[in-house]
Amino acid sequence: MSAQVVIEGNQPLFAPRLGVGLLYQEELRPFIECQKSSFDFLEVIPDLFWTDLGPDQSPRYIENRQAMEILRQLQADVPIVLHSIGLSIGSAHRFDREHVSQIARWYERMKFPWHSDHLAFIVAAHGAGEVNVGVTLPLPYDEESLDLLVPRASEIGSRIPRPFLLENNVYFFKYPDQELTEATFLNQLCERSGCYLLLDLHNLYTNSRNHAADSYAFLDELNLANVVEIHIAGGMQHDGFYQDAHSGISPDGVWELLEWVLPRCPNLGGVVFELLGSWYVDVGEDRLIAQLSRMKDMWLRYQPASQQGSRL
Amino acid sequence: MTQRAFQAAVARLVVDPAFRDRVRAIGAAALDGELTSIEQQRVMSIVDEKGLDATRTLHKSFRLTKLYSTLPLTRQLLRPNRLAKEIGSFWEATPSDSHYFVDESIAFCDFLRKRLRSGLRIKHLEEIVTYERANLNLRRARIEPEVPKREIVRFRYDPIILFEQLVKGKHPRAVPERTCTMIGRVNKEGKVHWRLSEKVSDKV
Repeated sequence: MSAQVVIEGNQPLFAPRLGVGLLYQEELRPFIECQKSSFDFLEVIPDLFWTDLGPDQSPRYIENRQAMEILRQLQADVPIVLHSIGLSIGSAHRFDREHVSQIARWYERMKFPWHSDHLAFIVAAHGAGEVNVGVTLPLPYDEESLDLLVPRASEIGSRIPRPFLLENNVYFFKYPDQELTEATFLNQLCERSGCYLLLDLHNLYTNSRNHAADSYAFLDELNLANVVEIHIAGGMQHDGFYQDAHSGISPDGVWELLEWVLPRCPNLGGVVFELLGSWYVDVGEDRLIAQLSRMKDMWLRYQPASQQGSRL
Repeated sequence: MTQRAFQAAVARLVVDPAFRDRVRAIGAAALDGELTSIEQQRVMSIVDEKGLDATRTLHKSFRLTKLYSTLPLTRQLLRPNRLAKEIGSFWEATPSDSHYFVDESIAFCDFLRKRLRSGLRIKHLEEIVTYERANLNLRRARIEPEVPKREIVRFRYDPIILFEQLVKGKHPRAVPERTCTMIGRVNKEGKVHWRLSEKVSDKV
């Protein structure tokens, strides 16, 4: 019941086809506990379950015992995948191997089917120290960025024996004269490092709206065999830009992208809906159920059971 | 090294408006000399982009959310204009170095207490900031074993009436004097409890 994903030179990795997922947020816990049939798995941001005291601190990661108990209870009911925000894999001034070790410790405990992070830099050198911008800043789509990323993603793949996914970024400014298109950059990154993609369709939709780009041209160029997970979400127009705010149900444009891309992703493990917990009051239970139900219908239509176990 | 300097410049454009103004004013001379010509061009091309403003807005929300959600009484007491001014000064002096809310908020409390020691005069601020800082420290104590699980905050005005007015969104008025102490503890279940004592000694 799983799709086989192969890393050249390594043992094959298997990404199970989980179905429809929901990003765990504390505010959604009552929904999650009462509406378990509306999703197949949960995605958690592990960084929210610990406090990171910073590089070279010992111990560096202090786990919240209450939150860990909640996680343990959730995992007894549904599969859980990790979506971290703390690696900042594109930071040129340091590669955070301690963060990778922490994820590896979680793998030993949880045996999650795959894990992911963001293709960006969030932390940068700043004077004698560093600054955490709190925003996923874009890397130039150049060979130099690939030279930085490929050994790092490859190292993560060798340390944690489950597919490691990187999420295509949302950005509000673009660098001129980049050597590669975004899709070619992502294809090259996967091919050279053995990592996979978390294709965030709402990020793609946001970038296309803000930069008048063609989402379908991007998808045409992208090697969709590398996609193991898809994100969808909703956002809002603010201050002249459409924001990837995770503030509501998905807009029509995102559903259209999902409908186009779902039958074309042979190694897909799941589609996750991201909603910030603070917006749950605004969205409400009924609309959240409807969102997940529509995702499930599409999943069953385009990722039928007969495909399960297929290898591309 | 140039990648590192390039990323530092891009991040600084987002977090440091004075640096952005300097780059606008004097161009590449404001940038680190390690940048390649294409990196310099890229920095110069984004410095005026509205997308950089949008990115800065996201960065500000990232930092503001931390303070707004963890320091509700301080926020209410300072009111929007003074709060914005103090946050602006705090951000200039302290770059964000963490994803975590508690660290940033404790640093902001320390910044305000330093401002009070150097002459800032806002009635009740000392007590409110000290109380909210202690409350955050107790939150840390729930998960960090070496952090003390007990905090003591002294008040010169009635904290119950003071808190009540602030929670209702009012600016404190006619709060009666009351020399007392609030003692916070983390219990075995990891919950924070506060109690009021009329005693003022450390050994309450």
